[in-house]
Amino acid sequence: MIKFWRSSTARFITLVFGIELILAAGMTLTLRVLTRGELERDAKSYAARLTQELGPVYLKQGKEDFQKLAALRILFSEGRATVILMVDPKGKPVAGNLQGWPPSAKPGWSEIELYRNGSGTPEQMGILVTNLPDGSRLLTGQIIENDRRLSRIVDRATGTALIFGLPLALFAAFAAVRIINARVNDIGETAKAVSAGQLSQRVWLDGSGDTFDRLAATLNAMLERIEALISELRIVTDGLAHDLRSPLTRLKVRLERAQVEDDEESLRSAITLAGEETDRLLGMLTTALQISRAEAGIGRDHFIAADLGEMIRDIAELYEPLVEDKGFAMEVATGTGPIVAMHRELIGQAVGNLIDNALKYGADSIRIATGETGGMAWVDVSDRGPGIPEDQRAEALRRFGRLDPSRTGFGAGLGLSLVGAVARLHGGTIELGDAAPGLRVRLSIPLA
Amino acid sequence: MTQKILLVEDDNTTADFIVKGLSEQGFAVDHANNGRDGLFHATDGTYDAIVLDRMLPGMDGMAVLGAIRAAGITTPVIILSALGAVEDRVAGLTAGSDDYLTKPFAFAELLARLKLLMRRATTGPVSAVETVLTCHDLEMDLLSRKVKRAGRPLDLQPREFRLLEYLMRHKEQVVTRTMLLEGVWDYHFDPGTNVIDVHVSRLRKKIDGDADTTLIHTVRGAGYRLGAGE
Repeated sequence: MIKFWRSSTARFITLVFGIELILAAGMTLTLRVLTRGELERDAKSYAARLTQELGPVYLKQGKEDFQKLAALRILFSEGRATVILMVDPKGKPVAGNLQGWPPSAKPGWSEIELYRNGSGTPEQMGILVTNLPDGSRLLTGQIIENDRRLSRIVDRATGTALIFGLPLALFAAFAAVRIINARVNDIGETAKAVSAGQLSQRVWLDGSGDTFDRLAATLNAMLERIEALISELRIVTDGLAHDLRSPLTRLKVRLERAQVEDDEESLRSAITLAGEETDRLLGMLTTALQISRAEAGIGRDHFIAADLGEMIRDIAELYEPLVEDKGFAMEVATGTGPIVAMHRELIGQAVGNLIDNALKYGADSIRIATGETGGMAWVDVSDRGPGIPEDQRAEALRRFGRLDPSRTGFGAGLGLSLVGAVARLHGGTIELGDAAPGLRVRLSIPLA
Repeated sequence: MTQKILLVEDDNTTADFIVKGLSEQGFAVDHANNGRDGLFHATDGTYDAIVLDRMLPGMDGMAVLGAIRAAGITTPVIILSALGAVEDRVAGLTAGSDDYLTKPFAFAELLARLKLLMRRATTGPVSAVETVLTCHDLEMDLLSRKVKRAGRPLDLQPREFRLLEYLMRHKEQVVTRTMLLEGVWDYHFDPGTNVIDVHVSRLRKKIDGDADTTLIHTVRGAGYRLGAGE
C-alpha cells in the first residue's frame, strides 16, 4: 500500500483530484462573493432612488403629498419589501411603515434588524439614512431577509454538490490515470514482446498525433531499425558462413595436397594457390566488415567536403589502365563539382566496385559521369552489356541491398552490397537505369 | 652497424614470425609481450624503430605510444592493428605513430615499411633543394618535369610521373602495392591487386621497354623495387 502511494499513478491521481477540488472551491467562493455583492448593490441603488424621489417631495410639496407617495411606494415596490420612515426635526414620525426611529441609525448605508408596523418579529433590512436640510430625517430601504435566505440556500446547495462532487472528482482522476496507464501499458507490453523475441511487434497508434502517438511512432521507428539490423546481422552471418565455406574448403584441400607433394615445383604452386585463396578470404572479411560498419553508420564523422567530379576523375584514372587492359574503352564525363560531404575512401571503393561490376557484365566500353539533379549529387557507371530489363531491375537492386541471402558465388554479391551500404551511409540511393544499350548504375548522395 | 628493432606484441605466434623474419634480414630484435615492458624498453631510446601492437594486455598500445612520445622519444613507430578502418588509422597517426599496418599483413609489407621509416629517420626528410633524381641511367628533373633514360627523353603521363617519382625517391627499396596506393593516390582501400600492377607494367614498358638494364623489378610476394642491380 505504501508502495502504491509512492507510485506515479497515485501522485497523478492526487494531483488531478487536488486540482479539481481547488477548482470547485474557487468557483463556489467566487459565486458567493459575486451574488452577495450584486444583491447589496441592488438594494443600495433602490434606497438611493427612493430618497432622491421622496426627499424633494417632502420639502417642496409638504407633508400630505409625501404621505401619499410614501404609501404608494410601500404598496407598489417592484416586488421588494420596501421600508420608509420620515421623522420631523423633533423625532416625531411623519410617515412610514416602521414602528419607530431606530436609535442606532446613522446617516449612510447600514444593515440592521427592525420591526415593521404590525409585525411581531424583527426583520433584517438594508437602510439608507439621510438628514434633510430642515432637520428632519429620512430612512429608505428594503427587507433583505429573503436575500440572506437565498444565499444561505445557495451555500447549502453548493456544499451538497461538493460532497457529491468529491467522489466524482476522484472517479475522474482515476479515469484519467487509467487512460494514460492503458497507453503506457500498451507500449510496455510491446516492448516486453519485442525483448521476448517477437521483433515484429509494434505499438498501436490511434492516429491523433498527440504526445503518446508521437512517442509510440518514435518507438516503432526504433523497433523497425532494430528488426532491420538484427535480420541483417542474421543474413550477414549466414551469408558469410556460407560464402566462407567454399574458399576454406578449397584452402584445406590445397594444403592437404601440398602435404603429400614430393616435387618441389608442385609444392610451391600448391602453397601459392593456398596463399591466393587466403588473400581472397581476407578480402571478403574486410568487405564484410566495411559493410557492417557502414550500415551501422560508423564513419560519418569522417566525411569531408570534396569535389565529386575531381574525385571520380581520380578514381577513373586509377582504374583506367586496368579497364583498357581488359579490352574496354573508358569514357569519363565529369565537370567540376558538385561539392559533397563524403567518406572519400568508401565512395572511392564503391565506385571501384561498380567499375569491376561493369567489367564483369559489360562489353567494349564503360562510361563514368557525375552531375547533380534535384538536390542530389550522382555518379553514373554505365556499361554497354546486355543491361537488365525494366521488370527485373527491382530484383537486381536487391544485390545492392543488405546482403542478399539468395545470391550465388562470392565477390560480386559482397561488392555490390558494399555499394548499397555506402549509399545508405551517405543518406543516398542506388538506381538502375537503361544506358541504351547496357546497364546504368547511379549512386546518388544528397548535396550539403 | 646492426639496426635494433623493438617489437611489442602479445600474440606469441605473430611475434615469433616477425622476430624470425627480421632476424633473417639482419636486424637485432627485442620482444616485449605487454605494454609495460614495451614502454620500459622503448624509453631506452637506443632502437631504430618500434613495432607496436595496438591491442595489448596491461597497457593499451595507444597509451604506450602516447607515453613514448611524451617522453620525447622520436624513434619511428609503426602500429599493428586488427582495426583497419580509415578512422582508426587516422587516430593512430594523429597519436604520433609514423605508419599503420592492418592485421593480417604480409611480412614483406612490414619489412618494406620498416626499412622506409628507418631510412627516413637516418637521412632526414628529402631536402627541398633536390631537383634531380637519378637511378642508374634514369634521370628525373623535378622542375622541368622531364624524364630521360640514357639521355633519351621519355614521354610520361602526369600520374606515371608521380609513380616514377615515388619509386625513385625510394630506389633500392622494396615498395609494396599498398605503399604505392597510399603514396601516389592517397587511398587506403584495396582496389584489387591488379589495379596497381597495371599502372606499374605500363610505366615499366616506357622505362625499360628497349633498355639493356631492367630498372623496375617485381619482388615476389611483396611489390616492386627500382634499381639497377638484380
